[in-house]
Amino acid sequence: QDYTLRATANSNENDEDYDGLVVFKNYVEQASNGAIEVELFIGTQLCSNGTECLQGVADGSIDIFVTTSGGAAGIFPYVQVFDLPYLMRSDRVAEAVLTDTDFTRTLRDLALRDSGNAIRIMTIGNTGGWRNFANTQRPVQTPGDLDGLKIRTVVADLPQELVSTLGASPTPIPWPELFTSLQTGVVEGSKNGITDIMNMKFPDAGLKYLTLDGHAYMAAIWVMNNDTFLSMPEEMRRVVVNGFKELQQATFASPKRKSISAYEEFAAAGGEVYVPSPDEKQAFQDAVQPVYDWFGSNVDEGEQVLQSLRDAVAQVEEDIDADIAADIQ
Amino acid sequence: MLLWFLPVFLSLLLIGLPVFFALLFAPGALLWLNGQERDLALIYRNLYNGMDSFPLMALPFFLLAGEIMNRGGITERLVAFAQAFMGHLRGGLAHVNILSSILFAGLSGSAVADTSALGSTLIPAMERQGYARRFAAAITAASSVIGPIIPPSGIMIIYAYVMGQSVAALFLAGIVPGLLVGLGLMVTVRLLADRYDLPRAERIVERNAAIAPLEYWVSFVLLRLNLAGLLYMLTWALPGGWAVGGWAVYLALLVPAHFALVWYRGRCTPDFRTVCKKAVAPMQTPIIILGGILIGVFTPTEAAAIAVAYALIVSFGVLRVMTVADLGDVLRRSAIASATVLLLVGAAVAFKTMVSLSHAPEILAEFILGLSENPLTLLFLINVLLFVVGMFLDAGPAIIILGPILGPVFTGLGVDPVHFAIIMSVNLTVGLATPPMGLVLFVASSVSGERVETISKAILPFLAVEIAVIFLITYVPAISMTIPRLAGFAN
Amino acid sequence: MGVVRGLLVPFGLWNDWALAAARVIALAALGAMVVVILTQVFFRYVLNDALPWPDEAARFLMLWMTGLAAPTAFRHGGFVAIDMVRTLLPATVAGVLNLILLAMSLTVLLVGAQLGWTHVNSGWLFNSSSLRLPLDLVGGEPVRIKLAWMYLSLFTEMVLLTVVNIELILREVLCLAGEAARLPSYARSDVPEAE
Ligand code: NA
Ligand code: NA
Repeated sequence: QDYTLRATANSNENDEDYDGLVVFKNYVEQASNGAIEVELFIGTQLCSNGTECLQGVADGSIDIFVTTSGGAAGIFPYVQVFDLPYLMRSDRVAEAVLTDTDFTRTLRDLALRDSGNAIRIMTIGNTGGWRNFANTQRPVQTPGDLDGLKIRTVVADLPQELVSTLGASPTPIPWPELFTSLQTGVVEGSKNGITDIMNMKFPDAGLKYLTLDGHAYMAAIWVMNNDTFLSMPEEMRRVVVNGFKELQQATFASPKRKSISAYEEFAAAGGEVYVPSPDEKQAFQDAVQPVYDWFGSNVDEGEQVLQSLRDAVAQVEEDIDADIAADIQ
Repeated sequence: MLLWFLPVFLSLLLIGLPVFFALLFAPGALLWLNGQERDLALIYRNLYNGMDSFPLMALPFFLLAGEIMNRGGITERLVAFAQAFMGHLRGGLAHVNILSSILFAGLSGSAVADTSALGSTLIPAMERQGYARRFAAAITAASSVIGPIIPPSGIMIIYAYVMGQSVAALFLAGIVPGLLVGLGLMVTVRLLADRYDLPRAERIVERNAAIAPLEYWVSFVLLRLNLAGLLYMLTWALPGGWAVGGWAVYLALLVPAHFALVWYRGRCTPDFRTVCKKAVAPMQTPIIILGGILIGVFTPTEAAAIAVAYALIVSFGVLRVMTVADLGDVLRRSAIASATVLLLVGAAVAFKTMVSLSHAPEILAEFILGLSENPLTLLFLINVLLFVVGMFLDAGPAIIILGPILGPVFTGLGVDPVHFAIIMSVNLTVGLATPPMGLVLFVASSVSGERVETISKAILPFLAVEIAVIFLITYVPAISMTIPRLAGFAN
Repeated sequence: MGVVRGLLVPFGLWNDWALAAARVIALAALGAMVVVILTQVFFRYVLNDALPWPDEAARFLMLWMTGLAAPTAFRHGGFVAIDMVRTLLPATVAGVLNLILLAMSLTVLLVGAQLGWTHVNSGWLFNSSSLRLPLDLVGGEPVRIKLAWMYLSLFTEMVLLTVVNIELILREVLCLAGEAARLPSYARSDVPEAE
């Protein structure tokens, strides 16, 4: 083969990221007729968090990497736009924003600029559905119910700002310590997708009350070393770009399938799922208004990126509503 | 091709290249020869990233806490306490040596600290009572390996970090194995005592010792608080559970705790009481560490920082044996010791990257499984391998080199990761006291003035017992797993 | 040998002074780490209001503590090694072997320093997630701290270790020339062991 692409994801083989990589590897190796080989490193074998791995991508020792918005916040703070609550109403909207609009390209240009043309955003998929609030103490139906709860967040501004705006107390805890911290009461809640909750067996640590507020889309940002990409001839680049498209579709589908059994297991483990009514959802939306202002004024490029996401959402909502109107007749 | 880094690494290690440089030189050279210069950056970054860790911070903190305690006159208090309980037995001071090590283990995560602290007090005392110096040095070295088995433990922090395990679970899993090693050594001493007619000792060394009023009242309060806490925990076991009570129940339990202590007090001699009271403040440390982690007040790193604060309060405020100049010295020594270990952990993480790049674990797993598919046989073989490695290499470096290679194979065979961690830790810790290259033997030699070769011979019966305990731990998982399971920290 | 002896002087002096200064900063960093974590414990459990920065600040201090204290350990023979072969060999052969080993460690350090410099430069791209200079306290804007300031610790360490390594090589050469008795002794200091 002529090219070896080294791809890494900091998750495990049960994760959506791995499903996407398997599809990518299979497609690219076949479509390039063996000219491109994809080598997978799953877990923390090469690097153990977003910053470390992005550095590897920047210096070319890693070709392909998938990061969450939080993991990339150190170098591309504006990608935290995906952590802003309640901007996209459904999977259908989110997927249309990420496939049918120029929003990903807007982010790609900014990222290339901020990484000195080293890190290229290839596509944005999903990793684990949507974030919801879950806790060990009580059912949460309105924003007021979160008051005073110690909620685990990653070490990043925006999730912490969101949690404190809702009256809860953001507590940074490393992911491997979260199980014992929930169990012993160091924290009382978390904001994760259901598959992560079940993979880590958090209900065994007392995590019981889950509120499906869907406050953030768990975007998976797939990046590649720009030089590696541009050093390939155009027909190979075409194969890679198509491979990422296949990967994206796989990561859209995978969490939906996995979450069904995860919700069943959650209920079987004694968990209670609460679905907020439209009014209650509105109350959450009203409560988080200050976070949007905070994002606009505290995050570099925040206002511009937030605006372009809102434009993209407006555009796809219009299209989707029109499609639905046509399809239900 | 890349796989050659392993034999290269081992050869460099054997001819005396420091472990830190060997961990980096071998992978670097092979990558360079293989034309993979870009991966050198990967190695360097993982060296950095390996050190940049919050859980790892528990290591310098526990080291610092142990150093402060050691400086603060706590060792003598623990030895006096152990003697009050076991001095009157045949081979009294040998038993005292072992019990002191068990008590000291709850404060310190290091076998070397144990040997040097207890050895300098107990070896001369044993000699004065007619013990052979080589015997005194050997029992000191043999019992000090309990230090890193009973929590806190430096090597378990390292193992947990490198292997992605919970520090708390490993700490809890080490308690019973540590006690078991102590028990095994005591039985051996008992047998030897009959054979060589080892002397008994006085239970109380210093008669009519004074205790400062502050220390008196601190131990007065702590004793009652702890006993009430113990009673409170017993109420959980009552049918129906009293957990409803909370603080009110706890405060109420202070009353029976007080009267129980007053009753017990009337049954002991004044000297015995003084010795016990003087040991209360130091022995609160393990309760703070373990209790804090168990009840969930602290993460292990925070518990370690609290241990430092507590050690400072006790040494400066209660015992008043430490000065500010001492503090500077203690900080300096701890910083240097931590730095060498952290650097080694970083190099191990870099080395681990090379292990992944070369696909060594898959190849090694295939090889190991080719030897046998029976986990029991493999565990036996692995214990032999670890023991041989432990003869030449210190526990920390050995654990960070072998953990990533061996761990996945055995967890794949259904061995619980926590159990495997304990097998590795105990085996390699015993290696610290095993000739020819046992670190603890060298320290015991310099503390006692006895030659390493002589101590090496005298320690053999104790090592035999420790090897027996290793196999007991290996084949009876419940020894390690019961406490972490009961506490909900392991499956 | 006069040249070697002459060369050893500046390296010895530098290592006396620079490492002493480094040790002082390292011990202060260790003390500060404890304070930072205790502050976090206080805010989290007593005030029920976890601070965002102590986690990263403590790691920052730990990295610098390591970077500045490790060279002292290296100079005093505190890096763990298996000495068995060297003790079994005749003195001259052991000395030559030691020179070869020191050349290997020097190679590691020189490559490390070079990679370290690249690493530091890449760190200017990345903001720390929670650390900032609180210039708002004096009326300015808070400035985010770049990760390069953390990365600099390991680069500094590589440089300090390199200088120590050169000194050790010069000393070994003088030992081989039979001048061991005239060298100042860096006996293994009373550094505690972590295991
Ligand atoms: Na211990
Ligand atoms: Na002992």
